[in-house]
Amino acid sequence: MSATLAVLRKDLRLAWRDRSGWLSATAFAAISVLIYSFAFDLAAQPVRPLLPGVLWTTFLFAGIFAGAHSFQREAEQGTFDAMLLSPAPATAIYLGKALSHMLALLVIEVALLLLATILFSTALLTPDLALIVLVGTVGYVSLTTLLSTLGSRARARAVLLPALALPLLVPLLIAAVRATGASLGDPVGTAPWTLLLLVFGIWSSAGAALLFPLVVER
Amino acid sequence: MSASGAPTAFAAPAPRRPGALARLYGRRWGVLPPLTAVGMFAMIAGAVIAAPREIVEGEVQRLMYIHVPSAWSAYLSFTIVFVASIVVLWRRDMRWDAVARGAAAVGVLFTALTLATGAIWGRPIWGVYWTWDARLTATLVLLLIFSVYLLARSVAGPNDEQGARYAAVFAIIGFLDIPLIHMSVNWWRTLHPQPLIVRPLDRPALPGEMLLVLVISALAISLLALWLISLQAHAERLGQRAQSLQARIDRGERG
Repeated sequence: MSATLAVLRKDLRLAWRDRSGWLSATAFAAISVLIYSFAFDLAAQPVRPLLPGVLWTTFLFAGIFAGAHSFQREAEQGTFDAMLLSPAPATAIYLGKALSHMLALLVIEVALLLLATILFSTALLTPDLALIVLVGTVGYVSLTTLLSTLGSRARARAVLLPALALPLLVPLLIAAVRATGASLGDPVGTAPWTLLLLVFGIWSSAGAALLFPLVVER
Repeated sequence: MSASGAPTAFAAPAPRRPGALARLYGRRWGVLPPLTAVGMFAMIAGAVIAAPREIVEGEVQRLMYIHVPSAWSAYLSFTIVFVASIVVLWRRDMRWDAVARGAAAVGVLFTALTLATGAIWGRPIWGVYWTWDARLTATLVLLLIFSVYLLARSVAGPNDEQGARYAAVFAIIGFLDIPLIHMSVNWWRTLHPQPLIVRPLDRPALPGEMLLVLVISALAISLLALWLISLQAHAERLGQRAQSLQARIDRGERG
């Protein structure tokens, strides 16, 4: 537990000192929402049917950038290997990394929801939606943290990571978009999307926590 | 040694006594090719000549005898990838990594074959090559996952043990993701308001002759898949040995 907190503190401190990583991810997210609104003319038409998809694709891409950046820095400076040499259990290191990624992504997501609320005059900061975003982020981060570890060593990691992650994230994306749509009052059918999101979160965090020690052991 | 005298590179591990499974695996060169040949001939004869012409769909319905067994063989291959990946993580045995690589390539081949035959069948029957039906979409995502697996594998060399472990983790996660993908895509397509839902499998049960031909085809194509996997795994294994020999030569020249 203390090891997890130490890794989390270290990552947050690094993120604070080197703000370029998550600031560029936030800037990318904001710009991509703008690009989407130009492409689909979101301001003129009834926006709600498209809005959940716009939000979640932006979350996914911004999260992949932020995660890849963090692991790339670790790999370049050798800090990841140093952490693995320490007596801290691998699962604790994984939890620390995942928590720090989750915090970073949640900050980006809240900023984005705020921006979209203003731009599209749709109330997006509701308790319903906050829960969906939180559950979706847990499932998303636990899987991509594992995949970033896998991809961090490859030369073509910038391309490889999204290619590895996005097909696996299809259930999460579908469930998150539908659940978000439902909370905005769109007709999306009666399937229990939030439950599927929850199942995906439990599945991916359990699987990643079990497999991560096998990935990093020498 | 096998009947055909072909090499049996990793029939038995050197230190351990060969178990029943390893001995069976050692005989594969003598068993699989002839059985596959007989099965394929029986399949072609059955599908083209013996099976009755379907009244509604016509001759194009005969594609089913390749399409359905291909889908089964793809799942068989990915199950082999899954099991071999678990053994790679558990035993750290690069021979199983060769099996996983070989089975993934064959699985991708049969998934693509499933999608291609389905599209050829879909054009005259549904009027479109592709439709965002749940089953089709899930198969496409499956094809993507294991294509990316092969892509990531092609970056690392054949003897890269860390790369093998990484790939094994990805294959396990990808395989376990399949039920979730099926569930999500099913709900996405069937519970979402849809003008028209295509239900390709709501046909009445197959008549006896067709079922018999389908069973023969399933056996034949499964044998073909197993034979291809063992060939491909053998090729991967030879690649591993060639690279380690090369590494030894390089070290010798420097030292």
